[in-house]
Amino acid sequence: MSIIQQHTSASLGDAWRTINIDALDPESSQNFDTTTLHPPLPEISEAEVRQLNGQVRQLLRGGDAEGALRGCLETPVYNGSEGTKEVHLQTVVEVLQSIKASDMTPMLQRIYGSEGGGELLDVLMKYLYKGMSASALTGGPRTPGRMTPQQTGFTQVGSRPGVSNESTSAAMSVLLSWHEKVVDVAGQGSIVRCMTDWRKV
Amino acid sequence: MAPPEVHHLFHHPIADHSFSADRETLAVAKDTSLELYGRVGGAFKLKDELKGHDKTITGVDIAPNSGRIVTCSQDRNALVWEPSPTGYKPTLVLLRIARAATFVRWSPSETKFAVGSGDRVIAICYFEEENDWWVSKHLKKPIRSTITTVSWHPNSVLLAAGSTDAHARVFSAFIKGVDARPDPGVWGERLPFNTVCGEFLNNSAGWVHSVAFSPSGDALAFSAHDSSITVVYPSGPEQPPKAVISISTQLLPFMSLIWNGESEIIAAGYDCEAFRFRGSESGWQLAGTLESKGRPGLGDAREESALNMFKQMDLKGKAKDDTQLKTIHQNTISTLRVYESSGDSVSKFSTSGVDGRVVIWNT
Repeated sequence: MSIIQQHTSASLGDAWRTINIDALDPESSQNFDTTTLHPPLPEISEAEVRQLNGQVRQLLRGGDAEGALRGCLETPVYNGSEGTKEVHLQTVVEVLQSIKASDMTPMLQRIYGSEGGGELLDVLMKYLYKGMSASALTGGPRTPGRMTPQQTGFTQVGSRPGVSNESTSAAMSVLLSWHEKVVDVAGQGSIVRCMTDWRKV
Repeated sequence: MAPPEVHHLFHHPIADHSFSADRETLAVAKDTSLELYGRVGGAFKLKDELKGHDKTITGVDIAPNSGRIVTCSQDRNALVWEPSPTGYKPTLVLLRIARAATFVRWSPSETKFAVGSGDRVIAICYFEEENDWWVSKHLKKPIRSTITTVSWHPNSVLLAAGSTDAHARVFSAFIKGVDARPDPGVWGERLPFNTVCGEFLNNSAGWVHSVAFSPSGDALAFSAHDSSITVVYPSGPEQPPKAVISISTQLLPFMSLIWNGESEIIAAGYDCEAFRFRGSESGWQLAGTLESKGRPGLGDAREESALNMFKQMDLKGKAKDDTQLKTIHQNTISTLRVYESSGDSVSKFSTSGVDGRVVIWNT
């Protein structure tokens, strides 16, 4: 009997390579709640967010766009339900859309120059990225069956799936131009912090 | 200010580099071998190649007085290379780790060294006379993730470590029989092995890339992946620190930092150039870059004729050649070390990076 025949199909395969050894080690970081590494953050309820959003809208109606922007960036929803986070994101996007393109840079510079302003712009950056990912998602589920066969040339530009919604693409262009302006003021550091930070909006 | 001394050794990332005390020998970790370069006139020439590891070398350190070289590697081993008349003799160190070794540094006393690892431990290694062998003791608690960097306190007992769990920690690495009992200081009074003297984390909590004690050992600085530098001033054992100052910058993250005196920090990283920070207990700020921009003979060496412009347009589809960075390093700087110092102040420091260059700078 040759040695080969003594092997079972399981031991000959390379399935053992895919065993997650970290799951078997009780000391491993996989079996460890990483949230305990950081101090807990205060939880924000939906009611609080709605009340705050009311105040922000009031400021916006009163013409104080900078105050409105500061207001919603000072209380980011780090610890809250998905719904709460979504509501706050909508408010931030609404404020951003209401600010004229020519006012963006001076306003960002004023915020950056003020006490704790760097932190506010980091929060803004997080909402910009969240806004962009959210708009991509609400563009409609892309099922392969619904995809039309790709046409050649430029004819598909107007009918790409996902951008059919006019308001989504408008919101996206606002977020993109804000993104550019924030990077001009707060530097690439703000993008890096947005990726690194464990406090997600 | 004299221009920096640039040595382009090869086209391969340099994981770590170290100069000997007389600055005649440069050890460079290149892939799985350790290359030793000797100074010949104004340049460094390859002198020796030490092979012993079979995975990428992640750290190298030359002890200034004894001339011993320690290396650590992803193959989970550390080797001590003893200089002898016939060349360097390697000795294997019993690290007892199951994951890659990531970083190594000699203690100032040169009787111990610390090896950081992906196994969530720091191995403190010392020589055991009876067995004629380098053995290790593990610093384990409360490390939750890979150790990326370590740095020794001037008293050779305290060790600072940075980790991917976003904490910078200060431990006691006191080994009975090797160390003299340390004087009580701001970090603690009684310091048995594995005492945690401090645990620090900044707001956004990025991975820690580099840690360093100030020359007096009474302050700790660390850089993290959130493009920030944090300086901690402890007030005494079991008490909250006097001041924790965090500076978020507009730049990309810093991979390495050193102190220059008590009021200056030099840091470099993904921006491919070194930056200066100045401050004290009351506050720190970015003071600018150490690179003098617009050096002669960089970029504008080529004649800007119309013919040349159209030639470039035709060949490359653009008139300007923008494939070169304006900095000396053409890629991330991964290690920054003191090269020459008098007392506490650094007069020259060296950097190495992903671009295969070692550069010696004047502060």
